[in-house]
This record gives sequence, C-alpha cells and structure tokens, in this order.
Amino acid sequence: MSGGAWLCLLSPLAGALAITTGGTAISRRTAAWISTGTTFLAFAGAVWAFLSLRSQSGHHGELTTAWTWLQSGSFKVGLTLLVDPLSTLMMLIVSGVGALIVLYSVGYMDGDDEERRYFAYMSLFVFSMLTLVEGGNLLLLLVGWGLVGLSSYLLIGFWHERPSAVAAAKKAFVMNAFGDATMALAFFVLIAHTHSLSFATDFNVHLSSTAQTLVALGLLGGAAAKSAQIPLQTWLPDAMEGPTPVSALIHAATMVTAGVYLIARTHPIFEQARTVELIAAGTGALTLVVAGLVALVQTDIKRVIAYSTMSQIGYMFMGVGVGAYANGMFHLLTHAFFKALLFMAAGVVIHALAGEQDIRKMRGIGALMPLTKWCFLAGALALVGVPPFAGFFSKDSIVAATLGLGWYGYVFWACGVLGALLTGLYTFRLWFLVFPGEPSPFVREHHHTHHGQEGPWTMLVPIGLLALLATAAGWLQFAPIWHPLTDWLEPAARTLAVAEPTNTQEYVTSVVTVVAGLAGIAIAWAVYAGGRARRPSLPFVQRTLEHKFWFDELYDAVFYRPTVALSALLRTEVEDAIVLPTGPDLGRTTLEAGALVRRLQTGLLRTYVLFLAGGAAIVAFVFLLAK
Amino acid sequence: MILAFSAGNVLVWIVWIAAGFACLASGIAVVSFSNPFYSALALIGNLGSLAVMYLLVSAEFVAAAQVLVYAGAVMVMFLFVIAYVGPELEAPWAGGPRWQSLAAVLAAGSLLTEIIVVIGLKAGGSLAHDGSVPGTFGTPGWIGRLFLTDHLLAFEITSIVLLVAAVGGVILGSHTQRGAET
Amino acid sequence: MSGPGTAWYLALAAFLFGTGALGVLIRRNPLIVLLSLEIMLNGANLALIAFSRHVHNGTGQIFALAVMAVAASEVCVGLGLVVALHRRRLALDVDTLSELRG
Repeated sequence: MSGGAWLCLLSPLAGALAITTGGTAISRRTAAWISTGTTFLAFAGAVWAFLSLRSQSGHHGELTTAWTWLQSGSFKVGLTLLVDPLSTLMMLIVSGVGALIVLYSVGYMDGDDEERRYFAYMSLFVFSMLTLVEGGNLLLLLVGWGLVGLSSYLLIGFWHERPSAVAAAKKAFVMNAFGDATMALAFFVLIAHTHSLSFATDFNVHLSSTAQTLVALGLLGGAAAKSAQIPLQTWLPDAMEGPTPVSALIHAATMVTAGVYLIARTHPIFEQARTVELIAAGTGALTLVVAGLVALVQTDIKRVIAYSTMSQIGYMFMGVGVGAYANGMFHLLTHAFFKALLFMAAGVVIHALAGEQDIRKMRGIGALMPLTKWCFLAGALALVGVPPFAGFFSKDSIVAATLGLGWYGYVFWACGVLGALLTGLYTFRLWFLVFPGEPSPFVREHHHTHHGQEGPWTMLVPIGLLALLATAAGWLQFAPIWHPLTDWLEPAARTLAVAEPTNTQEYVTSVVTVVAGLAGIAIAWAVYAGGRARRPSLPFVQRTLEHKFWFDELYDAVFYRPTVALSALLRTEVEDAIVLPTGPDLGRTTLEAGALVRRLQTGLLRTYVLFLAGGAAIVAFVFLLAK
Repeated sequence: MILAFSAGNVLVWIVWIAAGFACLASGIAVVSFSNPFYSALALIGNLGSLAVMYLLVSAEFVAAAQVLVYAGAVMVMFLFVIAYVGPELEAPWAGGPRWQSLAAVLAAGSLLTEIIVVIGLKAGGSLAHDGSVPGTFGTPGWIGRLFLTDHLLAFEITSIVLLVAAVGGVILGSHTQRGAET
Repeated sequence: MSGPGTAWYLALAAFLFGTGALGVLIRRNPLIVLLSLEIMLNGANLALIAFSRHVHNGTGQIFALAVMAVAASEVCVGLGLVVALHRRRLALDVDTLSELRG
C-alpha cells in the first residue's frame, strides 16, 4: 500500500528533476515523453495503492512516515503519507486525468520553443497535487497547497512575453496567497491548542467554539481562494491565459478541486463549527448562480468553460458544506472527466484554427471536425446532467442532499435547480454557436488539418477516452439504489445524517433538475440555433454580466489603488527623507565627533596634567560612592 | 570634634590658627604672584608656618629638618636659579585653551571637596584624640633609632636617590658640546 | 595635649594640596610650577605627620623625612632642566613645549 503511494508521489518528481537537470541536453520530445511516462507511472502506483487498500478489511488506511521532519519541543511533524479511501480516490483522479492531459500536451505543445520548461512544470504540478492529497498531516498538506499555487503561477505565466499572461499569473498567485495566509492562521490556532498538526489529534480535539470557528473560517478562506469561490473567484477567468492543457488540468480537474478535498478531509473540524460549514455551502450556492449568469455573455470559448468550472465547484462546495461528502467527491470525479474533456476538445478546435478563441468566429466548425464535435457533445450533455451521462448522477445527489436542512436548505435547492437551467443555457449556447451549421468564411479560411486528421493522435486519444468516461462513469453510483462510492468513502468521510435524502426526495429532485437542464437546452436552441427567438436586450444586465458583477473594479478600488498610493507615500516620506540620507549622515557625524575630540589634544603639558588630576578626582569619587 | 578649652589649650589654639592662616595665605600667594621671586619668598613663609605646625604635633626633629633642609637648602637653590634666570613676569590665569582654567579649578576643587568629605565622614569616629604621647615622641634620638632599626631600608634607598639626583643635576647643569648651543 | 584634633590638620593639608594642584594646572612658568609642586608635597607631609601623632607611630615621621629628601632631589633635577632651557634660549613657558600636540 505504501509502496504504491510512494511510487505515485515520487515518479512525477523524478520526472521533473530529470527534465530540469537534463536541460538542453535532452531533446524537446524526450522531455515530453519523460513527463508523460512518469505521470502514467504515478497512475500505476495509485492503482496499486487502491487495490491493496481494497484488499484490506475495514479500509481504514494507513499512515507511513519517511522520517521526522520538524521537531520543536513536544511538536513533531514527519514526512507522512496517508493512504486511505479519500486519498486513494484523489490519487487516482489526479494521476489518471493528469496522465491523459500530459499525453494531450505532447501534441498540443509540439513546436513550442520552451517545451522542456512546460513539461518540467507539469510534472512539478502533478507532484505537488499528489503531495497535497497524500499528505498525512496538515503541514504536508500545506506544503502541497503552496506548491500547487506556485506551479499554477508558473504555468499561467508560461508565455511570459505576453503581459496579460504575466498579470494573470500574478493575480492568481496573490489571491491564493491570501487563502494560504488564512490557512496558516488556522494552523497556528490549532498548534496553540493541541501542539500538533497530525490528523488524529486535530480532528478529535474539542476546542472552545470561538477557536473552532476561527480554525474553520481560516480553512474555508484557503479553500475558497484555491477553488475560486466568491469572494476570491476573480483569478480563475484570467488564468485562461495559460495553455489549454494547463487550463484542463489545473483549473478544471485538479487544483481548483483542492478546496473541496480540504473540506472533506478536515470535515471533523467543520462539523464542530457547523455554522462555518453552512457558510461554505452558501458560498457554493451563490457562486454557482453568479458564475452561471456571467457565463451567458462570454465570447471566449475558454472563459465560458472556466465560468462553468466555477459554477460546478459551487455545486461541490454546496455538497460538502451540507455534509454530503461522498456526493461532493462523486461530482468532483465526474466533473474532472467531463470538464477536462471540454477543455481539451476546445483545445483541439483552437489548435486547428491556429489560436483563435472567439466563439463568434468559429461557427460551423463541427462540419470539418466530427470527432471533436461528438466528444464535445458528450461532455456538454454530461455537464448539463442529462441521463445517462455522468453529470446527472452526481449533480442531482448533491441538490437532493440539501433538502433536509430547514429553510436555507430550500434556498440551496432552488439555487441548484436554477444552476441546472443556467448550465443548460450557457453550455448549449456555446455548442450551438460553434459546432453545428455551415462553416463560416473565417473557419474555411483558417482551418488546417494535421496531416489529414483533425489533430495529432496524442490529442485525439485522450478526448476519446474521456468522452467514454464522461458517458459511463456516472453509473458508478446511483444514490438510492447502489452506492459503492459512498461506502468506499465512509471510513474517511461519513455523510451526515441530515444530508441523506429520502428516496422520494432523490427522485423528485432528479426529475426537476433534468427538466430544468433540458429547458435550458431548449432556450439555447431557440435563440442561438435557429434564431426562432430573440435574445432580450437588457443593457444594464448585459453590462453587469460583462463586467462580472464589478468584482474586479471593486477589488481594484479597495485593495490595489490604496496600496499603490501607500507605497508612493512611503517612498517620498520614508525612503527618500529618512533612509537614504542615513549613510552619509552617519559618516559625517563620525567625522564631526572626531574633530570635537581632537580639540582635547592641545599639546600642552598643563592639559595632560589636568586630565591626571581630573581622573584622580573621579576615581576618588567612585571610591567615596562605594563606601 | 573635641574642643576642650583650658588655659594651655587656648594658647595651642591661637598658635594653631595663626600658623594655619599663614600657611594658607602663603600657599595662595605662591600660585598668585606673577613674579617668581615673590612666589619663592611666599613659599619660604609657607615652610616656616608648617614647621610651627609640626612642633604643635610634637614632631620636633621633623620641624627642625623642615627649616634646615627645605627652607634652608632647597629654597636657597630655587632663589639662586630664579636670580640666574631673571624675572619672567607672567599673569597667572592667562594662556592655554579656554576651558583649561575652569577645568583646573573644578578638578582641584573636587579633589579638595572629596578629601573634606572623607574627613567629615570619619570625624567623630576614629579621628578622635586619644590621650598623650611619651616624652621621647618625635625626638632626634627616637627618629634616629627608628631609621637605623625599623626603617633601615628606607634610609638607604633615600640616600641612593639623593646620590642619583646629585649626579643628574650635575650632568644637566654641565656645559653642552660645541654646536648644540644656539 | 589638646587643641585641634587630627581632622583639622587633615583639612589644612587638603587645602594645601588643592592649592598646589591649582597652581600646577594654571601657571605657565616652570619655576612656579615647581614651587606649586612643593606645596603639594608639603601638604602630604602635614597629613603624614598628623597621622603619626594620631596612631602614636613613628612611621609617619620617617616617611615625611623620606619625602623631604625626594623633594629635594626632584627640585635639583627640575632646576637643572630650567637652567638647561634657559641656556638654549628657549622660552620658559610650558605652553610652548608642545611637541605632543594632536
């Protein structure tokens, strides 16, 4: 079991180190295949760990420590890996989907000058994410947390000649750093009370309710920043400046889901601060509606999918927030499949159109790229939640789980249903604008095939595989009837009783959400496919949605401008006025002091005798005092 | 302090005050005159009044030596040299950096004050008089016996010092080689 | 015998010492500096003699006589210096002998 975990964790690291130390001595293709190979090796390790955990009775998992890392008095922290149901699930997702995406990158990034750097960063990212999910104590989790933030920064700003990419990378990093800070504060509170960061101690301790709330709030802040939930969501759309495989891996399938994983992992802490857990659910509900609305007006194909990600993670937050951890994790699994698929299919289109991302120009490309069209459709249907595709099973179980909570449960339920409608609407707006119909002149002019095919095999095989998974993976769990995933996760994250819906609730919710999704598809068809209905023209609404509810402008005014003004002020008042003259002043003062002392050396005998007499007087005085 | 006034006592006090006054006045005169000749003469007066003080404390031999050696030989030597060098008039407080004079007064004054304070602290304690001394106290024979028995080493070393000083004085005073004189 | 106690003698000795120190510090003619030095020595002598009487011990008087001898030899050497200075036509002013100036 632990062998699998170590193999899984260390292969991407070995890959990254090999590429880095190889430098220009290895060819770009070699670097690409090293990265791909080690990621597949990691997947093999994950499968090994999973199988050996399954064969263990009770599935309680084990902790394996390499060596003690930090020690300070009674506070000890080791390099500990945890292999339990939750972590093996995440390991499989991260390494599996990651391997497919790295394989896809081999085709997508072919020809780029800095391929080696890209693949080194990708391997670094996979290693960081695995550290996060395999970490056996909170400190190692935090290390992984920070490293994925770093990898995200490096990969968003990969094309660093582009100022927009650099700015986006900085924005992502700074907002994530805010979340890191709140998490660190939460850890400080934990250490102050328990002197330990191990899971066993921290999850079983009972702190005062204030301390518990503070810790939970700190963790929620970190989760919200990493998962791009309101109010820390503005970095995710900008992160689309990175290459498409990066968007697929980091900003769809794995890194942004780390927040959900965190809440599921630390759920004992949240359960003792139930209010904060419900705040998490509320944040998720709010985000899923807001993101759905903003996605309706986006014109960049990647940004539509990015807002869709934000919205779906809102669902996951809602799920884990009400206590249905297994449902949230199930949606995480299916979302990883279909969201990565959507991004990668979009990437095939972008690649074929030589970098064009504006959907208004892409009309009709489905006629020239049928495979991509059908894969994208599979992903879109899974996203909307149409049975029998994957999203249906996972999304509805979350929405149904909110019903047991009281009045705010009903609010969450309504948000979930509204979200389903919006999902159908924006997804199929995208589909109808891009794929069906006659190819536009722009498409005819710019489309190019890859040796007669839609794209290289390294890009087509992954999307094909993911299309199959997006179709079939949902059958893993149909909550009332068979639920192997919930059973599997029970030792690590038992669903709260209040979050278990009755069969009736489950069926009714399923029907309602499917109807809502289909209604959204119908509206999109009416407006965008045939022009049978006109899109209502509401300029104020349009403007608000286009400005993403003015979040960026708000943050600019509240945080950015005052900081810039403060630093300018400090520059003139402190730096130029006080700090800079200090050096010369110090020298000058020393010289003046020396000149002053020199006046004592008069050269006169009488003066030196005076010093003698004065010294004697002082010594006598000291002796007098001593008496 | 014990002030016991009786007939002989009053005389002692009068003599003491007179001698003390003379001592102080001549001391201040030495440092105040601009003509070195007058300063030397004031010093002679100082030495004489000190000899009277020594008599009051039954140190007869020391008083005699004071007059003979100090006032008689040393001061005469001084007067020789002053006569040889000539009167160089010099104002007492002039010259040197501005702070020299003030600092000098402060230093000397603080030394003086500290000594007075120490005496004051001890007075009434161990400085109280405690009776009379034997008749031989301070006589030449007594001193001589002490010199040749208890303090023989001091006696011999003092004589060596005197010898060295005499030789040094002769060398210093001798004529220098041709060419070194300006 | 009675009369002033030892404290009075010591106070007088202190005054003499202070006066002599003042003279050394503010006068420029080397001859007068030497004279002031003599006053300081005499002040010390007076203290010694007074204490000798106080503790009924002859050591103080012996010491005073030794001081007198040393003072004599020091005056001898000092006056020799003054004469040598005068012979070389140097000014008799300690302020001009300032080779230690900083």
